[in-house]
Amino acid sequence: MAYGIRLRVKGRWALFTRPEMKVERVSYDVMTPSAARGILEAIHWKPAIRWVIDEIHVLKPIRFQSIRRNEVGAKAPVASIRKAMKSGDIGDLALIVEDNRQQRAATLLSDVDYVICAHFEMTAKAGPDDNEAKHLDTFNRRARKGQSFHQPCLGAREFPATFALLEPDQALPQPDNQDRTAALGFGTPRDLGFMLYDINHGGDRGSILFRATLVDGVVKVPPPGSPELRR
Amino acid sequence: MSALAALVRAYDRMAQRGEVPPFGYSQQNIAFVIPLNADGTVAGAPIDLRLGEGRKKTARQLAVPQPIKRTSGVAPNFLWDKTAYVLGVTTGEGKRTAQEHQAFRDQHQAWLAGSTDEGLQALLRFLEAWTPERFAEWGWSEEIKDQNVVFALETERLRNIYLHDRPAARALWARLMAGSDKTEAICLVSGERAPLARLHPAIKGVWGAQSSGASIVSFNLDAFTSYGHDQGANAPISEAAAFAYTSVLNRFLDRGSGHRIQVGDASTVFWAEASDQASADTAEQMFASLFAVDENTESKKVGAILEKVAQGRPISDLKPDLPPGVRFYVLGLAPNAARLSVRFYVEDDFDVIAVRYLRHLARLRIDPPPREPSPSLWRYLIETAVLRKSENIPPNLAGDWLRAILTDTPYPLTLLSSLIMRLRADHDVSALRVGLMKSILIRNFGMENTPVALDLNCKDQGYLLGRLFAVYEQIQTAALGRNVNATIRDKFYGAAAAQPRKVFALLAAGAGNHLSKIGKLRPGHRVNLEKDVGSVMDMMEPDSDPFPASLSDKSQALFALGYYHQRNKYFRTSESPDTAAPEIAA
Repeated sequence: MAYGIRLRVKGRWALFTRPEMKVERVSYDVMTPSAARGILEAIHWKPAIRWVIDEIHVLKPIRFQSIRRNEVGAKAPVASIRKAMKSGDIGDLALIVEDNRQQRAATLLSDVDYVICAHFEMTAKAGPDDNEAKHLDTFNRRARKGQSFHQPCLGAREFPATFALLEPDQALPQPDNQDRTAALGFGTPRDLGFMLYDINHGGDRGSILFRATLVDGVVKVPPPGSPELRR
Repeated sequence: MSALAALVRAYDRMAQRGEVPPFGYSQQNIAFVIPLNADGTVAGAPIDLRLGEGRKKTARQLAVPQPIKRTSGVAPNFLWDKTAYVLGVTTGEGKRTAQEHQAFRDQHQAWLAGSTDEGLQALLRFLEAWTPERFAEWGWSEEIKDQNVVFALETERLRNIYLHDRPAARALWARLMAGSDKTEAICLVSGERAPLARLHPAIKGVWGAQSSGASIVSFNLDAFTSYGHDQGANAPISEAAAFAYTSVLNRFLDRGSGHRIQVGDASTVFWAEASDQASADTAEQMFASLFAVDENTESKKVGAILEKVAQGRPISDLKPDLPPGVRFYVLGLAPNAARLSVRFYVEDDFDVIAVRYLRHLARLRIDPPPREPSPSLWRYLIETAVLRKSENIPPNLAGDWLRAILTDTPYPLTLLSSLIMRLRADHDVSALRVGLMKSILIRNFGMENTPVALDLNCKDQGYLLGRLFAVYEQIQTAALGRNVNATIRDKFYGAAAAQPRKVFALLAAGAGNHLSKIGKLRPGHRVNLEKDVGSVMDMMEPDSDPFPASLSDKSQALFALGYYHQRNKYFRTSESPDTAAPEIAA
């Protein structure tokens, strides 16, 4: 694919939260396209380009683990933030952790390793100075050096991702032989059910879903606007 | 597939067989049915549907249109309700009774308007003609009051068809439920555009959760919502899917449903999916008997399988017992603050899961075996708990452990550390604990040749120290008898297992004194015991410090294993009279 990039991302833990279980969080089995997009955008993004995820390769077996953490159950209300901005008095803005403590359980993935195959498209915001080669170069240079605007993460901020650019001539890493099992879709495709594709930020901020299937360790992601996407 | 999607599929299969109520209906306690004629007159006094005798009568469970969530408002149910609503009579004060009855009447007139169905027309005519005074006039039984009642046409009543079962009533109810003000979105279970469930029905029967029920999908605090969505819109699930997964889950969670086991704090439900119902049933029964060992009946079945494993038969030999081509689902739920958290969800072929479990059992095998032939998961888990009380089982441990067993992944290491902690505290080196530790050594540390029974050739440091400790204890017992207030195990087990260098010199000195005492009474016995010490010492390698300053968790597990094996050797030999050490009064 023209202007395609491949990025290998790893981490000790990952949490690609299922929307239906986002309170007591449970992760999807594999990385979602929107999580992959988030990682790429952490490395390079400008309004002129839009990242499109093509494939997600799963290199390690899918393993879950559960933990419990202390979190808060409240958000600082928008109204009081507005008030503080107007009056310049931030006295009432505090959120007291002790009063809003919530224990939440999370079932997360441990020891993950993915290859994200993606490309980008130019958007309407591209100016005369923008061209594909420039943005591709920028991304590659930054990814090679390990630069990012913010720490890329695996689904949630608490689970940082390490990344490495796969050069075009580099072979695609493969799962170990003992991991090439039906659980990763080797032999028979594994149906992962409906997966979150992205949030429809341009519209009602509803979920866009697609049917994810793991075939030989690869989830193929439908392109934007394809009929496979349900919104 | 997600857990919810699998549950919805289970619901669809059960609905086909008529085992669960259809969408929009729910099982409720119904006590009486009022028989109507087609012209709306009453065909007789209400008929008692309750089962049982005398005061112990219990209402019958009938699938009726789903009740409305009523808190403080007045809101009638469709085609059924309690007598205050339906008839306007109640035993209590009933300040609002008239209002409630009026609401029932008005609502039904609105709902049923324009219906030409014979049954629904009959109900309308009945409501027009009915006044609460008639209840007394006609001498209806006081027992009816405050019970739930339904209606039936007299012509259909004996065939157990009630008014709400009539096709016209169902069609009308489906239309009413669809409503008009519901937001629509793509359902993440079915992938279809459908009306969204704002609040999901409660899930009851999870151990430790609120008795009124808890939810898997709930957004009960505003920190849980995002992108400005409200309640159910945060996780778009259609009403039909929400109804399906909750009703089937509630059914599985019922005690005695044959679909649940309790493992620590994880309420675990399981179900099978097969092309034919028979093999799904077999799989479910096998799973239940494998995991929830019931004292007598089931343990025989499990025992038979275990015996095959114990005899070293390859697991593939057991395959004929396992039904092929059955998908199996296991879902572990635990409560957390009015919500339910999914501890684990495993989905695989049944024979794969069963073989994994058998492998787990093979790893647990220990000689001499525990007293009960096939201990349940719970029996193992309470070994990690303070005072062996269920409520003291470390939270999260049960779920992680069961997930590790079902997916054949490394066991949680907290299991090992909590066992070591228990051993330090109560020094009870039991077969169950040692077996658990052994399983961890094999699975997590790849120590495949961890000894099952006493292994005189095992050179592992921890194992040897454990054996030596058991010999010293035996020497003490032989010298002082069994009535010592605090044996060296009581005093030194924890230190010996964790920091051998601190303790073993002391133990050796003590053993010297004890041996000289035994030597005066029974020289032969002394020689035997000295030989035991010698045989252990011989195995130690002098260049690799035999008494290290500290032992790792792994070695402490082997210490317990060595101690257990060596100690039980003495128990066994003492059973035969010729080598038995005579008791000496201390």
